[in-house]
Amino acid sequence: MIFLQLFWEYFKIGLFTIGGGYAMLPMVTQMVERHAWLTEGELINFIGVAESTPGPFAINLATFVGSTVGYQTSLGVFGAILGSITATVAVILPSLIIIIVVTVLFEKFKSSKYVNGALLGIRPVVVGLVLSAVVTVGCKVILPNLKLTAIEKDSFSHFNWISLIIVAVFLPLSQIKIKKKKVHPIFLILASAVVGIVIFGVFQIVQ
Amino acid sequence: MKNKIKQNEIPDESSPKRVSLWQLFATFFKTGLFTFGGGYAMISILEEELVANKKWITTQDMLDMLVIAESTPGVIAVNTATSVGFKLRGVLGAIVATLGVVLPSFLIITALTFVINEFSSNPWYQAAFTGIQACVMILIINAFVKLAKQIEKTWFSIVLLIAAFAVAVFTNFDVIFIILIGGVLGVAYTLIKERINAKKSRELPLAESERLDGDGQGRDEGGGEQ
Repeated sequence: MIFLQLFWEYFKIGLFTIGGGYAMLPMVTQMVERHAWLTEGELINFIGVAESTPGPFAINLATFVGSTVGYQTSLGVFGAILGSITATVAVILPSLIIIIVVTVLFEKFKSSKYVNGALLGIRPVVVGLVLSAVVTVGCKVILPNLKLTAIEKDSFSHFNWISLIIVAVFLPLSQIKIKKKKVHPIFLILASAVVGIVIFGVFQIVQ
Repeated sequence: MKNKIKQNEIPDESSPKRVSLWQLFATFFKTGLFTFGGGYAMISILEEELVANKKWITTQDMLDMLVIAESTPGVIAVNTATSVGFKLRGVLGAIVATLGVVLPSFLIITALTFVINEFSSNPWYQAAFTGIQACVMILIINAFVKLAKQIEKTWFSIVLLIAAFAVAVFTNFDVIFIILIGGVLGVAYTLIKERINAKKSRELPLAESERLDGDGQGRDEGGGEQ
């Protein structure tokens, strides 16, 4: 039953995400790949949409994955709604339970050497995992045929130079501060969408 | 400082007004609807709304909740909502606040999925997403930089960071196990460090007291702190 599977996968993700939304990403990538629920490209598209719609990024992504998986079943629209409920509830359920327990035991929790010790190890691991997401997403965007777990001859056959240029131009742009505040990601996403459309339009005219 | 004084004046009455479940739901629904991205963007808005405007909780409460939200599993913005809801109205409050903050995303995204599925084969749509995909890479780079700034720069954490990165990129090893191993190593590291420190503080005063007859008492504490 795909909905039970979806619930279990997202429950695990909710349970092991420490450090917020982007820390969840490597787990979501692996899950989606393992079950062949979405292509990597679809997932990256969703990340862009999840970041530019209201609400917490990780919840948006969970709802998205859930409704897409549900939509692929024979249940259609009903399946999509069921899927999005399943994924969203599953991802918040572990923290809901844990937080209620932790709030009650806050003083003990705060000074526990086991909790602090575990976090001491988990925090850098999560940062390493997010860095791995940079590399895997980067490969997907710039060298779509490259698979780092199995490098082959034709891995480098496809080079997406347009994406590389957009990254090279937008990365410094994302660091600019206006009135001590960084440019909001939404504007970057909208601007990059416009750039994508314009380049495509120019190619259409040229050809 | 001011907040501390205020808090001392009304001990144990941080929520004098009883907040209704509906109010709780409405407040978090609004926050969920009007913040983009979640995480810390949402927390600063929540702080203004809950501490400054509504005075439901104190600044110290907010800081405690942030510690909980950051060190428990899950999405930080949602965790904060759960924590505030629980503090104000118990288990039911936790559920209501959590649903409130999640519901706007849920409604918007579910509706959007249909739109996306409708347009996904349109070449102009695909062109827009070629740009967006490149931008997503930048967002993840920025998330990495922000997270990397927050961790302690010790050899232990740097080795763990690089090891986790390498395993995640070049193998199909389950990410959850990488996180679990990190947690176990962290506990082991803390316990070993504690034992070494305890050993030092036991040995140091002994050695020193042989030389500095009787002056070992003060040094004992010094060694323990290292």
